[in-house]
Amino acid sequence: MDQVLIVKNSAEKGLIEFLKFLLEKDRVSGVFTLIKTKKQDDYDYALITEPELLKDAFPLHPFLPVNAGKILSNFTDLKKPVVAVIKPCELRSFIELVKRTQGNLENFLLISFTCGGAFTFSDTVENKTDTLLSDYWTAVSNANDFKNIRSTCKACDNFIPMNADITVSLFGNKNIDSSCKMFLNSEKAKTMVKGFDTEILEDQLDKTQIEKISKRRTEYKEKLFNEIKIQDTGLDGLIDEFGKCIGCHACSRVCPICYCVLCDFESSTYDDSSSMLESELNRKGGVRLPTDTVLYQIGRLSHMSFSCIGCGQCTEVCPVNIPVSVIFRKIGEKVAKIFDYIPGKDVAEQIPVTIFKEEEFTTLGED
Amino acid sequence: MATNFLPKIVSFLCKWCTYSGADLAGTSRMKYPSTILPIRVMCSSRVNPVFIIKSFFNGADGILIGGCHPGDCHYQSGNYHTRRRFIILTKIFESLGLESERLRLAWISAAEGARFVKVTTEFTEKITKLGENSAKKNIFV
Amino acid sequence: MKKSQIKGAKISLNKNLKETIVSILKKMFQNDCCDAILMPMQVPAKDSYAWVLIKDKKLIDDANPIAPVMPVQGAKALSNFSRKGESKLKILAVMKPCEIRAVVELSKLNQINLENITLISYDCPGALSIKNYREDPDKAEKKFTDMLKKPEFLDNYVKSVCKNCDNFSLLPVCDLHVGYYKSDKNNVFLIPNSKRGKQNLEKLNMKTPQDLSEWMQDIEEIRKKRVKNKQERFKQIKNMVEGFDSLRDTFTHCIGCHNCRSACPICYCRQCYFDSESAKTETDMMLLNAEKRGAITFPLDRIIFQVGRMSHMSLSCVSCGLCTDACPVSIPVADIFSYVAENTQKQFGYKSGNDKTEQIPLKTFQLQEVGGIKELVKDAEG
Repeated sequence: MDQVLIVKNSAEKGLIEFLKFLLEKDRVSGVFTLIKTKKQDDYDYALITEPELLKDAFPLHPFLPVNAGKILSNFTDLKKPVVAVIKPCELRSFIELVKRTQGNLENFLLISFTCGGAFTFSDTVENKTDTLLSDYWTAVSNANDFKNIRSTCKACDNFIPMNADITVSLFGNKNIDSSCKMFLNSEKAKTMVKGFDTEILEDQLDKTQIEKISKRRTEYKEKLFNEIKIQDTGLDGLIDEFGKCIGCHACSRVCPICYCVLCDFESSTYDDSSSMLESELNRKGGVRLPTDTVLYQIGRLSHMSFSCIGCGQCTEVCPVNIPVSVIFRKIGEKVAKIFDYIPGKDVAEQIPVTIFKEEEFTTLGED
Repeated sequence: MATNFLPKIVSFLCKWCTYSGADLAGTSRMKYPSTILPIRVMCSSRVNPVFIIKSFFNGADGILIGGCHPGDCHYQSGNYHTRRRFIILTKIFESLGLESERLRLAWISAAEGARFVKVTTEFTEKITKLGENSAKKNIFV
Repeated sequence: MKKSQIKGAKISLNKNLKETIVSILKKMFQNDCCDAILMPMQVPAKDSYAWVLIKDKKLIDDANPIAPVMPVQGAKALSNFSRKGESKLKILAVMKPCEIRAVVELSKLNQINLENITLISYDCPGALSIKNYREDPDKAEKKFTDMLKKPEFLDNYVKSVCKNCDNFSLLPVCDLHVGYYKSDKNNVFLIPNSKRGKQNLEKLNMKTPQDLSEWMQDIEEIRKKRVKNKQERFKQIKNMVEGFDSLRDTFTHCIGCHNCRSACPICYCRQCYFDSESAKTETDMMLLNAEKRGAITFPLDRIIFQVGRMSHMSLSCVSCGLCTDACPVSIPVADIFSYVAENTQKQFGYKSGNDKTEQIPLKTFQLQEVGGIKELVKDAEG
């Protein structure tokens, strides 16, 4: 049984009440969450210090303009923590970044929620999402996957946040319009809520419901994975899939795990000299320009695929609609499985390429 | 499959063990295939997986990484990292439908000249059977 | 070269435009006009196009000099080759006029050495956006082919910047140009526009008797229409971006992915200034700003990036439109940058990609210039 804080208001408004309390009591140096701008369907992540401005906040809005984990990693030391409301996938990416010394958990009071999925960029740009919101929340409260959420979300079996200080119950919670239910998962959380004038009960998430949703999500994931057949189609199939890649590197730029300021593949490290290119030209009869398209994709896979948490930002920004997220997640899971690694789960679980066991794979290399 | 296809096997050999093992094979007048294109590295863990990917896409028919036996690395733990990286890269190649059999990791010590000959001969045979790497001709990689 | 003096070689149409140009290129290749040809080729999956530097004559047949879509700017492809180091390879680059102009700008930025490069362009019907093409590649191909036959040479299917492009035909900087707009349906004109172009035609034993004044008149007619279109569009853009609030609203969906910059041929820096340490905001500054304003939104410096990029490259902007193509939230970046670029270029009487010898205004200065400066100096000196 866990400790649960109840606020008698809708889930979103109750959460905002709590955020306002934290700001007014000076317990946090700011609130990091989504706010709505003046325009329709436009939500940005913001750092809010003025409690009045929380009226524009929509902390639970189902959209990721950017993966918040990436933004949180930009915060170096803070005297007082920032309270951040982010999605489970964003939280997992932040944990992966913390492992890479790109983030500091001490800086934040992390609030997340059981997630029903996020809207796509194209629906947002076409101004559809605001009108779809009430149907979305109906679906979420009934533990259904709303039709317009990203396919990466429909395939996400990690909708219960890991490592959150506070978890807001949303997915499958039939009372989201009348009650805000916040699970207090850490001592930090319990300290932060002291003095917040509401009730604390004992409760827990509905296990049967979670299993049902998990099963459905995992099935959809398998379906998505099976649609990608590049493991069977050889080099030609690989070129078919990645041939349209224009090398813009947007996928790595929006990826929370790809934090390098100068990406290895944008540096001159792998550049061929012009004489090498000329000999390649002589040998093949033709060379595609810019070079190293597929090298970049496979190279990025070898650098970070096992840490891929499947947020789907890469697919959203790809100008030629390559299903980057599905490919990276599929291959990433295969690689991570070799080491029983689960990205974003445990900040103490080290990244597979940074450690080793003396006794493992003992037959490899010995013949 | 051309019968007179001579594969090119780019071989990253660690200076302290495998490269010395190759030297030993040479000084002992043991023959190993001329398909091997040796590149001496200080440790097998110097090999950046992207080197392997690049060699593959530049048309290498096979890529061999040779290092010290685990536990004997001159720098204590280098080859343990090599081992993990190799496994990850092989898994990625498999998942992408690329012939992961063209990649080979072998632990060969400085004293194992004969083993160097055995490994390189077997690997050459395997690559010859696999045929030319089609990435050699592909203009869209 | 005075317009009335331009003459070309008349070449009869061989099946269709694409085949005709391909046969010209093959002849050039065979007659030692170049070592390799850079032109677009459909990718194996037939759902996009890629630039290929071709040395094997057989591959020329698979290429399409007038590709319906331009996922990568030709100048970017060429500079990717030339930045690897000096090369004596003689390359014939078959590109759209906007790509040729970008090549010229990049040569001024030391990214391309034009010494061994022959630039050949053609009357450009415009290009489809990547999105439109990829929605249905077969349909797009057919529409594009039909468009080439149209007299008015324009279609709502093409990118916005193409509809307003007044640089779609013969450029001062290209070595050779294939003119076919509105020409008699059975011929095209191969026009040498430089010493190198003339030398190439001599190698092909082609004479240039054809008077082109009628063709030039037709081109001029369309150009006038395009300029009008452009001014209309710029009026709309002006309203969209004038004033900080409007500017902010226009870019409100921007997520700071910097795709626009990656697609831009002029933006060649390996590490963009706006990704470097100099442009980074420290945490205490973030908090300070948040406290001053009540809140700050992410990505930080969204507008600074856009305006900053304008200040860096607008003088060289060729309005190719790849930035809009690459934008995941459909901001009309190309139209906005094109509008600003016209204003900044006009300030110096500079036209990007128009003259190989004309230095980019940011790289040079004159002792007496720009009337307004004199007044500022007078004020400063009391």
